[in-house]
Amino acid sequence: MRNINSNLKRKQDENIPRSSKSPVNHIEGDDQDNDEYFNTIEGEDADSSDSDRELEDEDSENDEFSDDEEKSDDETDDSEEDEEDLDDETEDDLDNDTDEEVDDETDDELDDETDDESDDNNEEKLNKDVEAKENNERNSEDIEEGDPELENDISKKRKNINLLRNKKNIREDYTSNTAESGKFVRIAKETQNGKSSKGNEFRIKTKRKDVVSSTENDEYADHDTSDEEDIRNTVGNIPMQWYDEYKHLGYDWDGKPIVKPESGDKIDDFLKRMENPEFWRTVKDPQTGQDVVLGDEDIQLIKRIQAQKIPDVSFDEYAPWIEWFTSEVMKTPVRKFPEHKRSFLPSKSEQRKISKLVHALKMGWIKTKAEQDALRAKAEPQFYMLWTTDDQSEEMRRIHKHIAPPKRQLPGHAESYNPPPEYLFDEKELKQWNKQKNDPSKRKLHFVPQKFESLRKVPAYSRYIKERFLRCLDLYLCPRAIKMKLTIEPEALVPKLPSPRDLQPFPTVLCIEYEGHKDMVRTISPDPTGQYLASGSDDNTVKIWEVNTGRCLKTIQTNDIVRCVQWCPNTALSLVAVASGNRLLLLNPHVGDFLICSKTDTVLKEASEIISIDAMEIPERVRSSVKWEEPSDEEYNNGIRVCLKHFKEITQVTWHCKGDYFATVMPDGQNRSVLISQLSKRRSQLPFSKSKGLIQSVLFHPLRPLLFVATQRHVRIYDLVKQQLVKKLMTNSRWISTMAVHPAGDNLLVATYDRKILWFDLDLSTKPYQTLRLHGTAVRGVAYHKRYPLFASGSDDRSLIVSHGMVYNDLLKNPLIVPLKRFQDHKPHNDFGVFDVKFHPLQPWVFSSGGDATIKLYSN
Amino acid sequence: MAITLSEIQTQIRFITKQQEYAVANVPFTVPSNIDCKSLNKLINSLLKESNPDILKNIEFDFLVIGELLRVPLCNHLQEKGVSTEVTVDIEYIQRSPAPQPQDALQHDDWISSVHVADKWVLTGCYDNTINIWSTKGKHQVTVRDHINLVKAVTWLQEGNPLGGFVSVSHDLTGILWHWTPDSPVPVMKAVLRGHERGIDTVGVSPDSTTLATGGWDTNLKLWSAELDDDEPPQKKSRGNILTKVPLQTLKGHKESISKVIWIDNTTMCTASMDHTIKLWDAELCGLKNEVIGQKAYLGASWSHLAHALIACSADRHIRLYDPRSTDGAVCKSTFTSHTMWVSSVAWSQNDEHLFISGGYDNCVKLWDTRSPKAPLYDLTGHQGKVLCVDWSNPQHLVSGGSDNSVHIFRNMHVGL
Repeated sequence: MRNINSNLKRKQDENIPRSSKSPVNHIEGDDQDNDEYFNTIEGEDADSSDSDRELEDEDSENDEFSDDEEKSDDETDDSEEDEEDLDDETEDDLDNDTDEEVDDETDDELDDETDDESDDNNEEKLNKDVEAKENNERNSEDIEEGDPELENDISKKRKNINLLRNKKNIREDYTSNTAESGKFVRIAKETQNGKSSKGNEFRIKTKRKDVVSSTENDEYADHDTSDEEDIRNTVGNIPMQWYDEYKHLGYDWDGKPIVKPESGDKIDDFLKRMENPEFWRTVKDPQTGQDVVLGDEDIQLIKRIQAQKIPDVSFDEYAPWIEWFTSEVMKTPVRKFPEHKRSFLPSKSEQRKISKLVHALKMGWIKTKAEQDALRAKAEPQFYMLWTTDDQSEEMRRIHKHIAPPKRQLPGHAESYNPPPEYLFDEKELKQWNKQKNDPSKRKLHFVPQKFESLRKVPAYSRYIKERFLRCLDLYLCPRAIKMKLTIEPEALVPKLPSPRDLQPFPTVLCIEYEGHKDMVRTISPDPTGQYLASGSDDNTVKIWEVNTGRCLKTIQTNDIVRCVQWCPNTALSLVAVASGNRLLLLNPHVGDFLICSKTDTVLKEASEIISIDAMEIPERVRSSVKWEEPSDEEYNNGIRVCLKHFKEITQVTWHCKGDYFATVMPDGQNRSVLISQLSKRRSQLPFSKSKGLIQSVLFHPLRPLLFVATQRHVRIYDLVKQQLVKKLMTNSRWISTMAVHPAGDNLLVATYDRKILWFDLDLSTKPYQTLRLHGTAVRGVAYHKRYPLFASGSDDRSLIVSHGMVYNDLLKNPLIVPLKRFQDHKPHNDFGVFDVKFHPLQPWVFSSGGDATIKLYSN
Repeated sequence: MAITLSEIQTQIRFITKQQEYAVANVPFTVPSNIDCKSLNKLINSLLKESNPDILKNIEFDFLVIGELLRVPLCNHLQEKGVSTEVTVDIEYIQRSPAPQPQDALQHDDWISSVHVADKWVLTGCYDNTINIWSTKGKHQVTVRDHINLVKAVTWLQEGNPLGGFVSVSHDLTGILWHWTPDSPVPVMKAVLRGHERGIDTVGVSPDSTTLATGGWDTNLKLWSAELDDDEPPQKKSRGNILTKVPLQTLKGHKESISKVIWIDNTTMCTASMDHTIKLWDAELCGLKNEVIGQKAYLGASWSHLAHALIACSADRHIRLYDPRSTDGAVCKSTFTSHTMWVSSVAWSQNDEHLFISGGYDNCVKLWDTRSPKAPLYDLTGHQGKVLCVDWSNPQHLVSGGSDNSVHIFRNMHVGL
């Protein structure tokens, strides 16, 4: 009968969904069937209890030892049961949960059901007990024999236990995770029951362990360490450093803190390392704080992971490839017959369904998601930001880049209904306020602060409407515009200049004064070797000085004021060109190389003898402006070798770099102001036929055949070969005094009487690259150093300023100009300060000549 | 800071090498800001206690850690980086008294060079003359054979005027002279011809056999100094006067050579305007070593006692070099007290620490190498730039300058 019922049952089960196979659902279905179902199980249970009883009888027949054994067994059983109970409890809890879902319908049967549950558990337990005892007997026998195999066995089993435990844990997790559906849990439980053999196994193992623990000797013989102890941390998977500050690591199953094992000091560590051969494979379990010796398998695993291999040894990376789905395209179809027409024709029924939906959409019976959302949004209350207009620019049509009106000032203490007494007007202030009635915009406050006892006593503000109106007028009538404001710090505009200390060497101290002249020294010129210095003065003399000692070696008397001396740059000649009045004297100072001096004399003598014959070829214009003369005997003895008599006063003479040509300037000569003379041929020429202005200064380009001509306001550069104007430099100043050209020829310094020094970069533009306003009065002398990146300027304010002027070979880099040092040692004389400035040709020294009849040398 | 400088005490111990002034070797505790004067008092009182024979106060100088004490002791120690808490050894030496001005020899023009041998002062003058004076101030001889200013004169044998002398001039020649004190006029023995520009300096080797000259043609030329007529006459001119040509010409300087000195018989040292001091080997005629400075050198002097070179350049400083050291700072110390260029320097011949210097600030200064901060004495008297100094005769410090006078100071140094 039962069997038939159960069969019936099964048939019914097949019809209903699988998940409802659980007994709970059966209870729902019909009671009777259910009862019978459980009865069958009960019957089985009774059988098993019988066998259990038989076993117990057998046990009682055994000797004392087995009794003891039994006792311990019982104890362990209890603990086991506890454990099991725990498991069951959790499961029961879950069951209950699920039950409660069901409870709503079946309140009455709840009790019965739970009873059944417990019965079920009991049955299970009994089954386990039976098997366990059988195993136990076997164990006890083994232990009596003391078989060494057993020990191995035990350790193996222990591992198994652990494994099992883990498995169990996993299972628990699983069940708890799937706690939503009681049905599922039930299935899991059933499977557990089904695997009762496995459960037994578990039990056996734990028993084994207990056995071992009772035999202590064995344990220690096995090198068993405390890591086998069941220290299980309940803290879960948390960062263990949370426990760093505590003495314990967590809590065991009983809720007792797991105390951290004592960590030895460094010496212990070291000793361990030295003595323990397995130290290298010992790691600390962060969960328990115990040292764990890794097994070979673990080591292998780690090694494989480190080697970036697949951790599983058994995995064959190079297994033969099995083509489950062939990549080859079959030529013939797999099946014999072609695809049915149905498979590619649209389904009629589906078409019908779709047309229905389309119709419903068209008619508005059903709505799309977007439409639904829109409807819902409409139904909800609408909010808007109250304060948007104040600080955000409104999106206005036709107004682009709307500028928000300026904010009104927030009320201060004076606006308060109860202002602090200092804000209240005293009589004077009130009087003042009243006085400004006619011009209210001048008032500091547009109202009189008033004090009230409380806010409620404050009357209505009488000017409210008016003020609003005024504000509106302000906003409406006052156009607003975005003002671009550029904030540049004045410091940012100043270029970063290097420190003068980094620009050494440059002249820093006055070291030698050359005293001997009796009047203003207008001009100086050092000889190309730097041994001597020539100077010309208003006392009509030219003096030759020894640079290093300040000794005046020679004094040459002339007939007129010496306005310019210039040492010939040709080192093969010992000549100084002296502009004295309207005569240009070529002077052999007879200092330095004796041979050169005498050779110069002979060369000049020969030249005069040869060339003086064809003087007739000279054009009239030149002849009228200059006359080459032989000096008188007295003058010859003084060293004067050649004399050029000009028709006007000469202010300047300058040599071409080769030392054969020299140019003289006569500012009053109008279109004959500049005269270029050639020493070797004793010939002069007037390069310009038209006067461009009052010529101040001329200079030869150091490398190319160019002539710089400075008039009052401009500097013109002429090509002497092509005889044309190359460039005209705009000085933007009123009166040029003198100029100097950089030894490389690409930069020009122009000094002006209106206090400026202009640096022209000839490659850059015709306008000054830099205008230096370093002096307070007219600048009379400028000079470049031949070797060092230095230039100097002297002015009527008695000051000599030495500056760093670095010219780079790189065309992209502009010259660097840094004023370095200012000297003011010359004494004033008739408002004249420094007349001429010249650098030593080799050393970083500078000479300056002044109105006080002295020449000064500044050295580094 | 409750403790002021005066309250800090320092332990000092006096030591000396002059045994007649030795005091007990016990440490004293003195205020750490004690200066030279107080130390002098202390030493003198100690001496009087131990030796009642000493009646007069004796001036001492105090050497602390290799340098003469010029500032309060604590400052001195601070500069040297020594703690004031350890016992400081202070060596005291009798202070040499100031050199006394003895005579001023008036010339007609600037003095370019001066050299003393025995009691004869040889001067070269800007008026092309060479003069010989006795140290007593008696003018002996004037030679006017040069046709341009005489730049350097030197006796051929150190301390022996009978060996003759040599003069070089801006007339591109050098002349070897023979002179005996009783002869009225020195005899021109040989003319050195070969320089292309003015000769500024001449140096005689210690064994008096070789001359080295340098000047504005940047070449260093070596000449034989033999006065004997035994050697084959190379070239005769102007009667029987021998004309010598240089044995060797050493090129290397880029600018004029301002000073040539001999370190030993085979080594020369040249100071040049091209910012270098070069050491030359006279036998191999090659460059041995080079000191590159920052300024143009104007003068140099070598001490056989201290084995060091002092050089003055176109600035206010005198620098002490060890030309043999190749590593590290070649400049050992710097002496700064002159206010203008220092034109010449000269070592003492019998004291390894002393030298004199003359500068364009009209001042001759006597220095101790152990006191780089301040000179021992300023020898004033010159009215113009000092162009040359000489201390060949230990008893006389001689200097000449642009005031046309040669000043002779008598050395009052202890032990002379």
